[in-house]
Amino acid sequence: MAGLAPRVEYLAGFSCPLGGLAAGKPRVLCHGAEIFLSTGSELVYVYDREERLLIAVYKFPGQVWDLELLALRRALYVLCARSGIYCLSLDQDNRSVSRDDKDDGDDQDSEPPDPVIPVHPDTCVLPDATLHAFTVLDDMLVTLAQGPTQWKVQLFERPCPGEDCRPGGQIGEVELSTCTPPAGSLGEPAAPRFLPVLCCASPPGSRAPHSHPWGSGGITLEGALFGLLFGPDASLLESPVILCGLPDGQLCSVVLKTLVTSRLAPGDPKALVKILHHLEEPVIFIGALRTEPLSEDVGDAYCDCVVALGHHGRTLAIKASWDEAGHLVPELREYSLPGPVLCAACDRGSHVYHSTPSDLRVVDLAQEGSPWDPTQCDGFPGGLPSLLCPASLSICSVTTLSVSPRVLEGGAELLALSAKGRLMICSLDLRSETSHPTRVTSANAGQKIKELLSGIGTVSERVSSLKKAVDQRDKALTCLNEAMNVSCALLSSREGPRPISCTISTAWSRLQLQDVLTATCLLENSSGFSLDRGWALCIQVLRSSRALELDSAISAVTYTIPVDQLGPGGRREVTLPLGPSEDGVLDLPVTVSCALFYSLREVVGGALAPTDPFKDPSLDECTPDVLPAQEGVCLPLSEHTVDMLQGLRFPGLAAPHTQAPGSLSPARDPIHTFLGTCCGPGSQPAGSASLRAKYLPPSVATIKVSAELLRAALGDSHAGVSLCCATLQWLLAENAAVDIVRAQALSSVQGVAPDGTDVHLIIREVAVTDLCPAGPIQALEIQVESSSLANMCRAHHAIIGRFQPVFIHLAAWSLGDLIRYTASATGGTSCCPSGYRDLSALPQRPALGGWGTLFPGSVWDLRSSPGSRPGRFQKAGREAALSWAKIGTAVPRPEAKDGQREVGSEGKGPRRKSLASKPPSGWG
Amino acid sequence: MEAPPGGQGSVRFSRKGCLGPASATMAHKTPLGSSASQASCLDLWREKNDQLVRQAKVAQDSGLSLRRQQLAQDTLEGLRELLHSLQGLPAAVSVLPLELTVICNFITLRASLAQGFTEDLAQYIQQGLERVLETQEQLEARLEHGLRGLWESVLHISSLLPELHTALHHLAGLQAAFWLSTHRLGDLTLLLQTLNVSQSRASEDLLLLLKTWRPPAEESDAPLTLQNARGLRDVLLTAFACCQGLQELIAGNLPRALSSLHEAASGLCPRPVLVQVYTALGTCLRKMGSPQRALLYLVAALKEGSTWGPPLLEASRLYQQLGNTAAEIESLELLVEALSVTHIPEAPQLLIEVELLLPRTDPASPLHCGTHSQAKYLLASRCLQTGRAEDAAEHYLDLLALLLDSSEPKFSPPPCPPGPCVPEVFLEAAAALIQAGRAQDALTVCEELLSRTSSLLPKRPRLWEDARRGTKESPHCLPWVSATYLLQGQAWVQLGAQKEAISEFSRCLELLFQATPKDKEQGPASSCEQRCTSDVALQQLRAATLISRGLEWVASGQDTKALQDFLLSVQVCPGNRDASFHLLQTLRRLDRRDEAAALWRRLEAQTELPQENATWSLPLYLETCFGWIRPPDRETLLEEFRTSLLETCDL
Repeated sequence: MAGLAPRVEYLAGFSCPLGGLAAGKPRVLCHGAEIFLSTGSELVYVYDREERLLIAVYKFPGQVWDLELLALRRALYVLCARSGIYCLSLDQDNRSVSRDDKDDGDDQDSEPPDPVIPVHPDTCVLPDATLHAFTVLDDMLVTLAQGPTQWKVQLFERPCPGEDCRPGGQIGEVELSTCTPPAGSLGEPAAPRFLPVLCCASPPGSRAPHSHPWGSGGITLEGALFGLLFGPDASLLESPVILCGLPDGQLCSVVLKTLVTSRLAPGDPKALVKILHHLEEPVIFIGALRTEPLSEDVGDAYCDCVVALGHHGRTLAIKASWDEAGHLVPELREYSLPGPVLCAACDRGSHVYHSTPSDLRVVDLAQEGSPWDPTQCDGFPGGLPSLLCPASLSICSVTTLSVSPRVLEGGAELLALSAKGRLMICSLDLRSETSHPTRVTSANAGQKIKELLSGIGTVSERVSSLKKAVDQRDKALTCLNEAMNVSCALLSSREGPRPISCTISTAWSRLQLQDVLTATCLLENSSGFSLDRGWALCIQVLRSSRALELDSAISAVTYTIPVDQLGPGGRREVTLPLGPSEDGVLDLPVTVSCALFYSLREVVGGALAPTDPFKDPSLDECTPDVLPAQEGVCLPLSEHTVDMLQGLRFPGLAAPHTQAPGSLSPARDPIHTFLGTCCGPGSQPAGSASLRAKYLPPSVATIKVSAELLRAALGDSHAGVSLCCATLQWLLAENAAVDIVRAQALSSVQGVAPDGTDVHLIIREVAVTDLCPAGPIQALEIQVESSSLANMCRAHHAIIGRFQPVFIHLAAWSLGDLIRYTASATGGTSCCPSGYRDLSALPQRPALGGWGTLFPGSVWDLRSSPGSRPGRFQKAGREAALSWAKIGTAVPRPEAKDGQREVGSEGKGPRRKSLASKPPSGWG
Repeated sequence: MEAPPGGQGSVRFSRKGCLGPASATMAHKTPLGSSASQASCLDLWREKNDQLVRQAKVAQDSGLSLRRQQLAQDTLEGLRELLHSLQGLPAAVSVLPLELTVICNFITLRASLAQGFTEDLAQYIQQGLERVLETQEQLEARLEHGLRGLWESVLHISSLLPELHTALHHLAGLQAAFWLSTHRLGDLTLLLQTLNVSQSRASEDLLLLLKTWRPPAEESDAPLTLQNARGLRDVLLTAFACCQGLQELIAGNLPRALSSLHEAASGLCPRPVLVQVYTALGTCLRKMGSPQRALLYLVAALKEGSTWGPPLLEASRLYQQLGNTAAEIESLELLVEALSVTHIPEAPQLLIEVELLLPRTDPASPLHCGTHSQAKYLLASRCLQTGRAEDAAEHYLDLLALLLDSSEPKFSPPPCPPGPCVPEVFLEAAAALIQAGRAQDALTVCEELLSRTSSLLPKRPRLWEDARRGTKESPHCLPWVSATYLLQGQAWVQLGAQKEAISEFSRCLELLFQATPKDKEQGPASSCEQRCTSDVALQQLRAATLISRGLEWVASGQDTKALQDFLLSVQVCPGNRDASFHLLQTLRRLDRRDEAAALWRRLEAQTELPQENATWSLPLYLETCFGWIRPPDRETLLEEFRTSLLETCDL
């Protein structure tokens, strides 16, 4: 059955709940041009396939579980969950309301949805909350109700539309096997997942013809099979038989004409119910087929095979056959089809269609080989195929199926409702079977070739898409392998040079009329692996001074630069602007950290994404779980802190030819420039900085370091240079100006901070006398001087930052060397900025590493100029304090916080005292 | 709407608050506001309960079944919701009487709507009991003993809670109904013993326990109930007596059955139940050998109401036992007539009724009267058995028309097992028609039978072919097919067509001798078919056919062929005396004296022995058939033979 190319035609879409329609409850029926459809909700739609429009929508009081159409009587029977059976008359005048309403909108495409016709509860012909399935015969209504412990088949006289089921309407009743009512708490029972299936089978000569032999469940069986299955009584009585497929897998039959009971004489289940089989899984479908080709003399084609399908694909086929001795014996075969089966249908031939979430498949139950020849004696009829080969129709997730009564030449037409609520017509051509090669004539050969070609086309399309998916996965696996190698190489080399490194350097450069401090990250791949797609270099710039502020989130900026093909030995340079920002502020220090990031989603996500549209959707659901929550792998490479010493510029030092004009006063305020020009050449330096320099004595901080210790730390590299010069060179090692400093052997240098204020570094040798009783200690005094307290603090912090690792290193062998350093500010009052006071309130944390032991009981004092406003100091102080806190050292307690202790201050006492006696109220 | 805590003090307070002005001594224990709102809420819920009960009564009186059903369903939902809101609060003694009453009303309505008790109703009872225990903080105590343990502990503490007394007895009544309908009589006895502990000493007799149980009367201001505890007690008493009486009757303990049934009849019985009880009393008395008293009860049952079936059937059995065939047939005719009327059952009350608690009558019960067609079959077969062939034929034809004519709007049932299977009905009809001298009609019936089952028959061409080839396996043959051929042959005999008759008999024999006992397991097998295929029936069928053909040979003057058949028939069925007589006659006619004498001696010896097959009842059609082929004057033949033999001896 290779040529089963379905022609699918989408008719209409119907609303469906989120997640699609559940199988089991939707129904679709066809009568003439009208299609009756329910999706499991409260609505029943009537659709005209000729005119392609919705004729009517009925709204029932409950979920619709089943539909039956009695075409001859123009009546639609509807089973509503927990309500009962309703009967609608389908006569045109009944629907005239909806037709009239629609007339005005007919011509427009965007016609409003049809008015929903509510079905009045009065049209309920059989109120029974326990009904689970029903079927309508010509004059009878068979229902299956769930009793407290047992399923109950009840037989009623068929109520007509608009007529109440008469009190005496019940003809018979019998209880089937036990059932387990849905377990649940007290109250409303949960909706069952599987509904029982009813099917009415009639003997061939039955004088009560079914009006819907192919519509909804009625089947007419061959006499032999009928008698064999249901016994001679049923054959003699020519009684219809109800086949019940229960959710527990039981398949049983009740001969309707024997099902007559009264209240005093209930049916005896042992005598009335015959259990045919047990599928051991919920029965989804019961139907009948004609497996043997018709002989010419027989007019009527009755079914000669009964099939039942279970939810997991177990399929039962029963056929009557004659054994060797001529005895009539049932041939019963079980097959296993791919499940889970959502719905199934039989056509008038020997085909069973069954739908799973991934595909709609068709199996042929016709016997294998040549049809049975009645003249042949040793051949026995009725052989069921030993194996079923489902052929795919490539339509997935069909929740309900019905075979349309329209006869196609050699084919079938299926009405299907997909899980997405789409109604479609699938026209199948079953003619192109290999068993009828003679039928191919020259006329249809072309057509056939076309079909074959299109079949090949779809197959190759599918193959190529599958191949693509496989390739993608291969590639992803390769990438993952590379990534693993790189990660291992990076993580295993803790000591020594790392195979992939990132070095960061800073420089000032001029961008768009503004000088900008840029950081250059150089990524070097010295490993044997290449960094491919999926790798990215992440550079995080953390403005540390703001890290402790409340809105710290905005101070960190991460740049992600994809590393595109960095082979072994390759290097890539990335330059980032660090600042100053547009407002001219550059808060140093800035921490730049580099990391390699490998995006799993980018590499693996594509391979795992469902590229196959026919794949089982249940498999797709697990895709998000496969990807880890972290979407990638992050490998930290290096971290670099850009501090004030690196950010300083030395315009005075630069050689004249390298000095670009304008770089002298970076980021100048245009107003300052204007004012500067107004003052004219030769006048005092303009701007607030110069004003401050003029009227405010600069803030000064000094650091004293043991010369011996420093000498040991600097080692031999500075031999031949004075210690002062060597120290300055060492401090400015990462500054671009270090070469000039070295060349000129400077021991003091005048620099410009990023915001334009000047910073003066002076290094001289001093003797510290008050520290050691043995005598004076040779020490080096580093003095930082700036008109801006903030910049002074930043520079001071940077210098401390240089010493910190060196002395941690040295502390290991010279713990005995005591270092005392004093930072003092001259020319100010002895008042303490509140920022420092705040800090003193912090609990004294233990020092990190050897830092605390190196500098026990450090003495602090900060003086400021008398004319300064407290607010300014406050701010500067906080900035400085925060800088301190950032590097994590123990903050030395400012012992002279109330100004009563004076260190290195002369002649400013009275003013200082006055201030101290009257501290500003805001500082408290 | 804050619930009072489970503590005793506040509970007592709020209860008093409900009844009247709050006592000043307790007032300090509960804030006034909550007490007021609680009391009003309680009133609201009570009002809701009363309104729902009234609504159920309206539904009960409503004539339209649809409206009635919907109203009842709505009431049920309302009760469920009310119960939900009540149980959403912590249990409190003040609310519990109402809550238990709502549970009782819910269970009553639900059971009567579903016409039976279900397991989840037991859960509602359990919930109610747990709520009672919750107020006493004893919940963990007896949970492991299930419902029985719960009841024990609840009833134990109920002496402390007199206000719950009425409601608890009501709930106990429903529990008793539940256990009665599920035949858990042991639990029921224990429950009643615990309930009765104040009145009498423990007794094992359930009937006595039920009688002595006195549920407290409802107070006038209590919430409305659908059915009160006393009414429930009366229903339980009658139902239990009735059940017990029927069980004893089936088990054969007639005196005990009689006393139980008398007890049931003296209680409050709805009419249909009373008819059943009277009929059962009739059956009991008939079996005890007092037909006249039995008849009195049956007459009383017939006077009682609309369900005439069981008493009429019982009356026919009684007349059959008395040998009054005319009256028996008459009562059967009445039975058929009674059952032909569509019995519209009254809509059941929305209460726990006696019928609800009675087990459904199974076919083995003496109260089972079957369906219209079963009665018709009984009438027809009794007519055939009692020699009323004309009537029998008419009744059989009516029955067949009932069974096969589906054009008739009223759906008619066939006799269902354990009666005869449908083919047997056809065969009996044919036999009755032949008996009544309507051979042509009999042939039609037989043809109808064959045509309807033709698809089940072995394939004809294959059969002949196999026979020609001499296949060792004989085809399976449905037993009634050969019987049909036999009856067809008999019909031809009656029509005087010897040739056709002989060919039918031959066809029958061919089928019969090909059937081997092994075939029994194969093919469609129903219970009646197994009976037909049993070896004895098969032997008898063979003998009957052989005799029939032999008689035809005799009639056509071919005595040797006849002799062959008679010999064979004696061989296949040695116990059949008819065969031996025919053989004896033929031997005498052929003048084979020695063989005849030997056979005669054997027959003489046999007469002294009891008939070995007397216990085996043949199918009715076969019995009728044997009636046709029985030699008319067996005793005279034997007498003649004896004298002739003596003469020859003398000579």
